[in-house]
Amino acid sequence: MLRRLMTTGALALVLSTGMAIAEPAKVMIPANPGGGWDGAGRHTMAAFAQSKIFTDGASFTNKGGAAGTIGLAEFVRTSKGDDNALLVTGVIMVGGVITNQTPVSLKDTTPLLRLTNEYNAIAVPANSPIKTPQDFIAAMKADPGALSVGGGSAGGADHVMLALLAKHAGAPVAKINFVSFSGGEILAALGGGKIKAAISGASEFRQFAETGRIRIIAVSGPTRVDGLNAPTLKESGIPVEIGNWRGFVGAPGMSEAAKKTWLERFAKLHQTPVWKETLKTQGWEDAYLPGDQFAAFLKAEDASWSSALKEVGILK
Amino acid sequence: MDILSQLIGGFAVALQPMNLFWALIGCALGTAVGVLPGIGPALTIALLMPITAQVAPASAFIMFAGILYGALYGGSTTSILLNTPGESGAVMTALEGNRMARNGRGAAALATAAIGSFVAGTIGTLALTFLAPSIAELAFVFGPEDYFALMVLSFTSVAVVMGRSMVRGFTALFFGLALGTIGIDTQTGQTRMVFGTLELLDGVSFTVVLVSLFAIGEALYVASRSGTVPAAINPLAGGSWMTRQDWARSWKPWLRGSVIGFPIGALPAGGTEIPTFLSYALERRLSKHPKEFGHGAIEGVAGPEAANNAAAAGILVPLLTLGLPSTATAAVLLAAFQNYGLQPGPMLFATNPDLLWGLIASLYIGNLILLVLNLPLVGIWVRLLLIPRHYIYGGIVVFALVGVWGLSTSWMDLLLMCGLGLIGYVARVYDFPIAPVLIGLILGPQAEIQLRRALAVSQGDWGVLVSTPIATMLLSIALVVLVVPPILARLRSRPKTEPAISTG
Amino acid sequence: MSVNPSRQDAHRKPRPWWLGLGVLAMGALWLNGARSIASTTNYIGVGPAAIILAVGMGLAVLGVILITQAMRGELVASPEGEEEAPPSRSAFLLALAGVSIPLLTIRWLGFPLTAMLAFTLVTHAFGSRRTGLDLMVGAVLGSVAWLGFSRLGISLGPFLPLIG
Repeated sequence: MLRRLMTTGALALVLSTGMAIAEPAKVMIPANPGGGWDGAGRHTMAAFAQSKIFTDGASFTNKGGAAGTIGLAEFVRTSKGDDNALLVTGVIMVGGVITNQTPVSLKDTTPLLRLTNEYNAIAVPANSPIKTPQDFIAAMKADPGALSVGGGSAGGADHVMLALLAKHAGAPVAKINFVSFSGGEILAALGGGKIKAAISGASEFRQFAETGRIRIIAVSGPTRVDGLNAPTLKESGIPVEIGNWRGFVGAPGMSEAAKKTWLERFAKLHQTPVWKETLKTQGWEDAYLPGDQFAAFLKAEDASWSSALKEVGILK
Repeated sequence: MDILSQLIGGFAVALQPMNLFWALIGCALGTAVGVLPGIGPALTIALLMPITAQVAPASAFIMFAGILYGALYGGSTTSILLNTPGESGAVMTALEGNRMARNGRGAAALATAAIGSFVAGTIGTLALTFLAPSIAELAFVFGPEDYFALMVLSFTSVAVVMGRSMVRGFTALFFGLALGTIGIDTQTGQTRMVFGTLELLDGVSFTVVLVSLFAIGEALYVASRSGTVPAAINPLAGGSWMTRQDWARSWKPWLRGSVIGFPIGALPAGGTEIPTFLSYALERRLSKHPKEFGHGAIEGVAGPEAANNAAAAGILVPLLTLGLPSTATAAVLLAAFQNYGLQPGPMLFATNPDLLWGLIASLYIGNLILLVLNLPLVGIWVRLLLIPRHYIYGGIVVFALVGVWGLSTSWMDLLLMCGLGLIGYVARVYDFPIAPVLIGLILGPQAEIQLRRALAVSQGDWGVLVSTPIATMLLSIALVVLVVPPILARLRSRPKTEPAISTG
Repeated sequence: MSVNPSRQDAHRKPRPWWLGLGVLAMGALWLNGARSIASTTNYIGVGPAAIILAVGMGLAVLGVILITQAMRGELVASPEGEEEAPPSRSAFLLALAGVSIPLLTIRWLGFPLTAMLAFTLVTHAFGSRRTGLDLMVGAVLGSVAWLGFSRLGISLGPFLPLIG
């Protein structure tokens, strides 16, 4: 039996070595196929191949769960010092590391760059008396409980944004009425007037706003979004800016040379029309922020999320 | 009529040889992934997304639609033959379908499932063609309180799958409910019952529970009893096709299943599972042969199979008319549209009629292809059971491994598979029903979320639960369903000695 | 609706009290878990602990009922009126080994070899004695699955972790 096992083992060995391709990038996607991170990873690598900047191919590992922290832990554990290993990351993971108090964090990786961003928007049912960001703030101040606001998962960017708005309004953060939704349900609930307002990605609201079912009253980015007739929170005098950014980090202990190579590749990619097209079809904002600036940004994000999550009452 | 002429235009697109070819590929692929536990249409379409870079939109969506429908045809096959559902929508099919297979009527069960899927798929597609815009408005009418009422109504269907004793049924149900509470609470972000493990934060995956309780539990059970008893199944005995009586008993469940499945599938929080629960419960109540339920009643296969296919057509309604994804599969399809720079919705019907009507037309064709593909396959599938039993179960365990390990490559999931597999084994030995576990796991979390959403919006006023006509109506039906049958049963069974409620 | 176990008067009534005890223990675990969840009910009135509490209580009650039923000998094994075969302990253990061997091997032997071992153990639980053939079939099945899924973009882990 042992001998047979060894022959099959040898067979398998031949099979597997025959399969190996010349140094493809090993991309860890900390989410299941089909989601935002999956798209970020696969579309970016596709753009690399299409623009002939990096043509050695890519192998993807999807490891979803717990706001990406399971994929992060796996990445840190398995890819130490691997110059070709990349991890897709983003703001959700920053929050996940804090709330789940994981033993590993983004500090254990080699920060590469921020690539894209999706800004949030606040929307209300078409017949809502709330017409401006100021109306929203006033309603929140008057009776935070009566203003039921839908959003994604509790403790996510939408929830934190509502908490920041409440703080600005001078309403007690503990009193906000955040109702968590998943998928398209939030649009139906908002369009049907089941909730008073909703916070979600600006692109998700676009179609319903165009058909007049809902009204977008503000966006959360630094500038207005093309084609959306809505002011930014900033220009309305509300100093809240929050976005769902995504980017890449490298393996722990990635060599300086490899880090430089990857950053150069991304810098080239950022200039190509292929990438601009990808941004457009995916509805992503360009948020290119490479190298050390990104590392500093990560640190700032970590601090601001820690305090925000404490205020919302998610973090004790 | 305008719709008709556009539909004819759609057929012109869908009948192009190239598109027919893609439809065929999609149907075959869908059937294959439907058979595999854990690999569903959403995942398959997500993985095939790169194809959108090379193929014209109409062709890609025609193939994706084939995958969506095909998975539901395939999901029933393993349910019936091996008592291991490939998809969550096929759980109810296993109840009666596998009993039929064991009685040598596997071919009839597969046939009624395939034809029922075809009938319901076609009815669903017709409804999609002609009623979509008005059905889509349901999405805005249904609020959290209405969904909660729908969940309560679905819970009442558990009663009919309780097995032979209420205590066992309730134990199974509460076990499922308990599993459903594991993970992060969506409304507050708190972790619940995760025992300090990161892997459990997202809850126990439905696939793992499905695969472990059914496939692994079944393999352990049959293995432990295999030495002494020769294989009991003779798949070819008892006629290989539906009898006249089977037809007579199937057509009404097909129609009723379609009527239940389509509108619920069209709801943003509906899905394909709830219609199968409701359909099974309904058929059991209406059947002229209630004694056969639990021993292979064909109505119990025909109804749920029709319901899940009609629901699949329903899922496309909010997606195509509103751009609203209601299930994982719909969300992936939406992403595919966006890859082409298209946004589904009323505008798309105006700007890209060829694509949309081609897609709708391809649904009719896909259903036909699937029927043609599946009916002859029935004979081949049934012969699958002639493979030596040790290879069948060895293969089941390997495919269970693929399903459990493949998605997450999580060691914790493997551990859960072993633990739940053992529980599945114990359940078989001591005759605890398994379906209530899955019903509890699916419905429990949804009911909790909808209840708490409703109460959050009303700021804690419980009156909200009966504040809409829909919620009041659904809750009343649930009450009637719970109260009336026992009374009727008592009245009816007065001359007899045994109360009719114990269910085999 | 009393259960009617007509076959229970066999030579010896089994009393699976441990089944009820397991359910009771699970209920206790959930009840205990509910205590550690801060009940921030906010506007909802139903906090995150409520359902855990309800499920825990339900399980505990059911556990007690199951124990009493077992002690009275009402909880008997008899699946659906089939002719009951005496279970084979060795076959069961062999199958269980097949199901649990991936826990030990999947990290360092990889998916194809693990599938081969699991397949072979299960086939042997069903009485197969052609070890070599089973190993071959299992290896082919595992490798085909691995190759097929990695073509699709689903990773089943490294092919053979031992050699990297």
